[in-house]
Amino acid sequence: MSSLTKLISTLARVSDTKLALLNHSNVQIISSAKMSQYPKYFIDPTFRNDELNALYETGEVKEKALVPCRAALTEHTSSEFYSSFTRKFINHVMRKGNKQLAREVVEKAFEVIKKTQIQKYHSLPPEKKVDFTIRDPHELFHQAVINVKPIMVLTPIKRGGVRYQVPVPVDDLQATILAYKWFIEASKDKERTVRFYNKLAKEIMDAANNTGRVVKKKLDLHKQCEANRAYAHYRWN
Amino acid sequence: MATTMLHKHRVSVLFSFGRSLYRRINVSQGEFGLQQKCSAYSRPINTLSASEAVAEIKNMPDESRPMPAKKPISKAMKAYLLQAKNYDEFMKKQNTEFQIGRRHLANIMSMDADTMTQEDIDQAIEFLFPSGLYEPRARPMMKSPELIFPPKKAAEFDESGRPYHSLFYTMNPNFYGLLQEAVTEYVNLNKEEDNMIRKRISFNSDMKIILSGSDWLSQEKLSNLLIEQIDDAQYEQFKNVMLRLAEHPLSNKVKDFIMKYRYSLVNEAALAEIPKPSYEKDGRAYVTFKGARRKNAYADVTVHMPGTGKFLINDCDIEYFQDIQSREQITFPLIFTALLGKVDVTATAIQGGTTGQSGAVRFGLAMALRSFVDDKMVERMRLAGLLQVDWRTRERKKPGQPGARRKPTWKAR
Repeated sequence: MSSLTKLISTLARVSDTKLALLNHSNVQIISSAKMSQYPKYFIDPTFRNDELNALYETGEVKEKALVPCRAALTEHTSSEFYSSFTRKFINHVMRKGNKQLAREVVEKAFEVIKKTQIQKYHSLPPEKKVDFTIRDPHELFHQAVINVKPIMVLTPIKRGGVRYQVPVPVDDLQATILAYKWFIEASKDKERTVRFYNKLAKEIMDAANNTGRVVKKKLDLHKQCEANRAYAHYRWN
Repeated sequence: MATTMLHKHRVSVLFSFGRSLYRRINVSQGEFGLQQKCSAYSRPINTLSASEAVAEIKNMPDESRPMPAKKPISKAMKAYLLQAKNYDEFMKKQNTEFQIGRRHLANIMSMDADTMTQEDIDQAIEFLFPSGLYEPRARPMMKSPELIFPPKKAAEFDESGRPYHSLFYTMNPNFYGLLQEAVTEYVNLNKEEDNMIRKRISFNSDMKIILSGSDWLSQEKLSNLLIEQIDDAQYEQFKNVMLRLAEHPLSNKVKDFIMKYRYSLVNEAALAEIPKPSYEKDGRAYVTFKGARRKNAYADVTVHMPGTGKFLINDCDIEYFQDIQSREQITFPLIFTALLGKVDVTATAIQGGTTGQSGAVRFGLAMALRSFVDDKMVERMRLAGLLQVDWRTRERKKPGQPGARRKPTWKAR
């Protein structure tokens, strides 16, 4: 791993901001203003009570007074069960616009996770129960994605008529999207009798422990990047 | 010495014509003297009726009053008088035509021509000449000629052709006067800033103007305000200069000047308009919001306070919506305002699908709840995006391509 970070620093052309992006942080959902049906000056809604309170505390709300605000989206709610991170994943699971099904599947997977966690807790001897905290499936999923996000990926770059697989650093959003994709791929690769949500729950729990095939996939990719480090200079010449 | 004489002479001439000319051209006596401060010249020149001007100038040689020797009228003034006369005749003709048209329209619509307002005219025109054209300005219209033809400036020079405004030869005296005023304000602010630094007075963010919530007047509006044609480059220049002034740490002191050239983005009056609750026979307060919409759906929502959290949507409880997301939607405003379980909601939703109907109910509910919460909460609801109509709709499919935006796969041959 240390050699990999070294490789990144040898790439050297990576600006500080890019390196900052490599640090694992929450997904920044970038709204596309390009095709928006709202005029440009409309601001995005702040529909979470805690976020809104923070706006009032920092005084930022003064600047937002009398600026028109877009309507909250259908998936937005100030309910405590809302997690923007999970909602984004639901959108990736969705096929052919069937969000109802996608949401059902992901929620079932989370139910399985919760049940397994509780079972684990009750099977422990009493002295170990103190250390074991039953974690929120949303939190567990967040941890799993952080564990699975790659630092570097391979990009085909054509030089002298030959395609080289060149290792390049990947930004936070792309890494998250890759992680989502790998979770879905791993959960789909199963026996016919096994349910998608059961497999997804298993993969998430494994990844949160830093084990399992999705984490292995990330490590394999990193290993390949390491192997192809000789091509790294093709990024800029 | 000769120039001083001339100045004195002109001033006396002006006064002898009486107050009206003096007032109309909006030039003070001091400005005829030595040109001391440029900002004094930046006052916009007002419009005047050309017929008035012509009459006034015709009446100038009045025998009853002692007059200095008759001065020759300059070519510039002659040209202006001719132009003004033509413009005035044109407007007169247009106005007569408009009055006749209005009478005819009133006859057709069996209304009283004298009490007919512009609103009535617009309605009548829309009724008689229905148009499907998208651009409102392309549709048939009938308006007073003053609203259609751009106003003209009054004479910017006297009979000898000497301009009143120091910036006359820039061709856009009002516009450059405005810029000069902005720069003068900026220089003054800088002086004040220096003073404050010298006295070690600390700055705070309240001293700077908050520009959010308003925007610069559009190029067209600015042109109308200054009665001058302003091109793209000049408009950019205007915005840059004003922005520079607005970014000054003490810019709040010139708030009035800056806000004169900005307009508010939201309709504040509409925001403040919150209906008072009515009361049932049993003493419960209720508010109805009608015509809430989202996508193709419409909803009427009534909120009763106090209540027990009951939902009645199209004579069914919350299970009218079978998917969780829709139920989440209609409880969103209640959770946000912490009124879940404290009010009863009755709604009728028509047309559209599940998302549309739940969205319409959500909007109607949020609008009705405004009557039961304080002003601060209303602002919070607005920031949460609950009080904005979601007017986005599905984009139509285009002929010759598989979807709204999607194009067929490119095939070279």
